[in-house]
Amino acid sequence: MYVNKKLLGPGFLALGALFGFLLSRAGATTYDFYAQLFLFQDFQLLWVIAVAAGLGALVHSLIGYRRSSPPKAILTAAALSYKGKPYRRSLVPGSIIFGIGWGLAGACPGTALAMLGEGKLGSLWTLGGFFVGTLLFGLKENFRMNKAVPVQG
Amino acid sequence: MTEVTIWSGWIGGIAIGTYALFQFYLTGNPLGVSSAFTDACSLVTPGPFFKKNRQENGFSWRIWFVLGIPLGGFIAALTSPGPLVASFSLGPLYDSVLPAVPWVRSLVLTFGGVLLGLGSRMAGGCTSGHSITGLGLLNPPSLLASIGFFVGGILIVQILFNVLG
Repeated sequence: MYVNKKLLGPGFLALGALFGFLLSRAGATTYDFYAQLFLFQDFQLLWVIAVAAGLGALVHSLIGYRRSSPPKAILTAAALSYKGKPYRRSLVPGSIIFGIGWGLAGACPGTALAMLGEGKLGSLWTLGGFFVGTLLFGLKENFRMNKAVPVQG
Repeated sequence: MTEVTIWSGWIGGIAIGTYALFQFYLTGNPLGVSSAFTDACSLVTPGPFFKKNRQENGFSWRIWFVLGIPLGGFIAALTSPGPLVASFSLGPLYDSVLPAVPWVRSLVLTFGGVLLGLGSRMAGGCTSGHSITGLGLLNPPSLLASIGFFVGGILIVQILFNVLG
């Protein structure tokens, strides 16, 4: 089944809303669950991540891995890729830096967005900072790419 | 602060895991959030890195997706028994350790956000991309990143509550 490309945008808006709703119900928009997780007092969010990832692994192994040709996405007919994100040198330091931000702000990118909808306004600052961090990385990459390709003339 | 309805952890995990599978098998795009911010920055920022990303992704599905997430939070708050309250409070635990002076607290949260943004780009993904999607694919780099996320989180929260607090 193919879907009109113009409908994909609003479709993803609706999917985002569903995801935001579920993040909230899962407790991922409750700041103090992060503190309790990292203080080893309450494992609500560890359960959420572990069960979600475990379910994914189970279903992928039943549907995807064993096929000789990978299945296609139902709506877009895009070939499904089971290849995960690659390793890179900055992965370990980056993930620890991310974790420090995670514990400090009591939110991650997706949950900060859902918190905004719940009226938790501290997430405005976190999201603003998130843009700054993304820009800093991009500017560093700009610099690296400019250096790699010498300007002509 | 808005008090939202919260399900048991394992039910929340089944719900979010099912959602991630639903998105992947329906659209072919695995669940992920942080790259949307790069796509959004690329629309307005000059330079080769952003230009390349703009040409590849444009106004991507990811931007639509992250615009929907606050809407979902809003619906979740409206369908919870308590009232929707706009507040800068973070709840009793965080409120007890973060600076009470509003502008200092804003700085701390902004700094946390900067680390999240920088860290997710360096790691190539955030909690949803690495820990939900990546662990579901049994992808070793995602497991490494997820461990790193927890190491950083435990480090700073232990310092906040047990050293500074």
